[in-house]
Amino acid sequence: MMEVSPLSLILVKSDSKGDRLLFRYPYHIQESDECASTQRKNPYTLPTTEDPLQSAQLTSNIIKGYLTGFSDEVLSSLFAVKIELCDKNFELKVNDVRFVGFPTQIPLMKKLKDGSGYMLINMIIALHAVASPSVVQCYHEVSKKMGIALRFEEKRCGYASEQTQLMTASHDEGFQNTKEAFNIILEKCSLARNIKKMYYDLCGTGLVNVYINRWIPLSYCLPQKAHQWHLQGKIVEPEDIYKCLSALRPYHSMLLLYPVSDLHDFIPLDGSPTLIRLLSQYSPLKNLQTLSADSDITLNHVFELTAHLFYWAKATIIFPICSANKYVISPDAPVHRDSPLVEKFSEEFPGYNLLQVISEYSLPTSLGQKYNPLCHPSEQSHLVKTLIWMLQHHLLIQLHTYIQYMPLDNMAKPAGESLKLQNTPNPELESGPSTVPDTPDPRSEVDQPRMMNFSDLTFISLDDEKQEYQEELLLDFPDEERSSIFRIPATNNPEDLRLFAKLCRKKYFQGEHHIEEIMYHENLRRSQVLQLLDKFRDVLLTYETEDPSISMFSSFDW
Amino acid sequence: MAFPEYNRYKIEGCGKKGQIRCIFFCEFHPTAGPIISCSEPENYISKELFDSISVYIITKAELQRSTITVTLSNYKILGFPIKIEDKKYERNAFLFNLCFVCDSDIRTVHYEPVVTKLSDYLTAMEIESSFLSKGDKVVKLKSILKQILEELNTKGECALSQGPIATHLKVVSIRVDPSLVADHQVPILIKELPEQHWDLTTQQVTTYIDGFNHIARIAALSDVENSLVKACIQNLIYYGVVSLVPLFQYGNVYCTTPKIKILAQNYHFQQRCLSYVAYSQRALPNLREVFRIYSSMTRGTTVKDLCLRFNPVNLRINERKLVQFGVLEGLIRRIHKYPVYLGDHADLQKSLSGSSSLDEICCSTNITTQRLEDQLETDHNVIMIWK
Repeated sequence: MMEVSPLSLILVKSDSKGDRLLFRYPYHIQESDECASTQRKNPYTLPTTEDPLQSAQLTSNIIKGYLTGFSDEVLSSLFAVKIELCDKNFELKVNDVRFVGFPTQIPLMKKLKDGSGYMLINMIIALHAVASPSVVQCYHEVSKKMGIALRFEEKRCGYASEQTQLMTASHDEGFQNTKEAFNIILEKCSLARNIKKMYYDLCGTGLVNVYINRWIPLSYCLPQKAHQWHLQGKIVEPEDIYKCLSALRPYHSMLLLYPVSDLHDFIPLDGSPTLIRLLSQYSPLKNLQTLSADSDITLNHVFELTAHLFYWAKATIIFPICSANKYVISPDAPVHRDSPLVEKFSEEFPGYNLLQVISEYSLPTSLGQKYNPLCHPSEQSHLVKTLIWMLQHHLLIQLHTYIQYMPLDNMAKPAGESLKLQNTPNPELESGPSTVPDTPDPRSEVDQPRMMNFSDLTFISLDDEKQEYQEELLLDFPDEERSSIFRIPATNNPEDLRLFAKLCRKKYFQGEHHIEEIMYHENLRRSQVLQLLDKFRDVLLTYETEDPSISMFSSFDW
Repeated sequence: MAFPEYNRYKIEGCGKKGQIRCIFFCEFHPTAGPIISCSEPENYISKELFDSISVYIITKAELQRSTITVTLSNYKILGFPIKIEDKKYERNAFLFNLCFVCDSDIRTVHYEPVVTKLSDYLTAMEIESSFLSKGDKVVKLKSILKQILEELNTKGECALSQGPIATHLKVVSIRVDPSLVADHQVPILIKELPEQHWDLTTQQVTTYIDGFNHIARIAALSDVENSLVKACIQNLIYYGVVSLVPLFQYGNVYCTTPKIKILAQNYHFQQRCLSYVAYSQRALPNLREVFRIYSSMTRGTTVKDLCLRFNPVNLRINERKLVQFGVLEGLIRRIHKYPVYLGDHADLQKSLSGSSSLDEICCSTNITTQRLEDQLETDHNVIMIWK
């Protein structure tokens, strides 16, 4: 977890007067062991006769989470890059430290005396070398944003050159040690204060929010860090978020992780008015489609706003809370006696113990099951509130029922490979090519070559008595599957068979869609689907599991 | 039991594996400054590019003997700058750096030990025989670089025997550290144990790894100390030979995961599954029955319940193998029970805190699960959390 936080932020400039390390934060620590390092490198000592052949132990440049072992001159010479590397991502790894930045060329408002009109500014972020590429990418962007903001402010009012001059002047005043100079800089320069705040923001919440020159907002979200408060110890990669967002559907719902009033503080003054409108209509019981209708915003824009809140760790995606939803305890829920969540819960709900409340979800439990008609309404609202709290902390996951269509005892060998199949012990396998193809092709007759299976002839003769509609309805099903379906008594009812055939053709029974999704798309009631599943249970197998697209926060990789 | 010495490094990012594109030798020329004096293949790094990054290759004194990797838009250059001080050199010191070049999205951390070792080798040759500073080093170096590049990219190792000193280079792939092994876990071989001269402990232990014995039992059976068994299993996990599954008991509860749909879709996977879970290879079970049993695994349904309901023997299914396959392939997941004591007894609060599962408690106290569960059930202060 530690490796997401920066070790240090370093500001370097380079212009016609040479390169200079202007500011770095934190600077207090290095002072203390700098004397140790000068002792090591005292130029007056005799060169020790150490054996150059002896392999040096792995050197580390991190002591107790702080950057160490580099003098300011070395740092500035490393990061004042040549012009060829400007305006590109910069990445340098030295031992176990990775330096990340985005050197930016800034045209100066006033040319220097020697006629040069450019300055290079590079805000470098020192990280642990083990930081993942996505973290590195995020820090590149932070540095880039800083560069852009400074370039803009320089053009507008010469802010960058003013600040760098202030900093250089402070260094030149000739203090005993750099610490004093940095103290003065921190007092005088607003840019240095911005960097200090960024450092603490990045180490803390992962949400950067500073105003460069009290004018240009620089805000950034480090998703690997921002999602920490509700998911201790689990790093959320931006990629996970994009995957989840691409699986977002109108029947999903947004669950805010903060009270709506807190979110108003998060929205800047010039924030989107639609976001405020959306929040005014928000309820975890509404799906996104209803939310879009209620707040009079297009569904697409609701998706965008949800994605934004989700990325910034202000909301999470759930299936709307209703009485039929089944919940169980999430496999990685930190529920034990010493968990800080236990205390947090009893602060929120005095007199209740989280462990006791959550243990009732050991078996799949729905709100409907827990409602008691004799209960006071306040108890029911309490029940919903505790449920929402546990969902916000990802302690519960929802189970969905998925359906798998399996008409035959065994699946046939995929088409095209049936030739190789000579020594399989199962005779059924040889009987027909592809019945349930690997890739979901449309069930067209062209794709499904027919093969009459003699063992099924008896059934077919029985089927003769059945009415025409059956043949018609399942015309595009392979013979074998058809005969096995006709053994089910419910096929005598045209309504049932029609619904079954329709859902089957639409590939709802391939384990990719849960009941709620089918209900949403086909405009069916739950009881209708459940009845159908019961009637066709010989060919439709059901299982319960979580929705992999929105349960990405659980510790398992699907 | 050789853990690579660099295991304090975690996997650095998820960068792809890739080949070394170029190896070049660079030195500080007394008059011309930093130059590439030998490169294989030649001119892979252009002069202009080199000039813009030479500060990271021929470095200031403070950065000598540090592994330095600089990432550019097309290349990643890994080096280990060296300085040999001696009066005999024109500037009283000889500075050089031997660098590996890879594509920019390739992981290079596993080449770091190789570069370090190679630089040390060259340093030794230079000190012994002025290999790098005298005579036609380019010709000599060129052949060495060529050999290293070819052999590291094809075989992952290389033996150098130029001159009086020989050295061996090997690229050790860095994997994630395996997590600690607990007493109650069951190791299972997921591939053939490679034919190697394993150490004595491993030889003694591996015969008892059958997918059903847990660690404590293996220790007892093989008469090897418990901690040694754990270290050995951990080592085997590191090399991907062994995987850990939860202990099989008829009272266990499992649940399906979203991965189960693979079983319905992939023909080859089905065949593998059927032959794994079958009682006998002559009569394979039905896929539909196998799927039906898997999909009936829900919280609250024990394996015993499933056996009573489906009678797997009649269906030619070995239920132990069925569970084993499901867990190994991630089709199902074990639901553990965590007892929590809510009363005031301090000792019980500690042992039943909710962070150790029933399995762990049983294994450490040597009580059967059944007995412990019965005992806990009578205590109203104990709640059971299933997850």
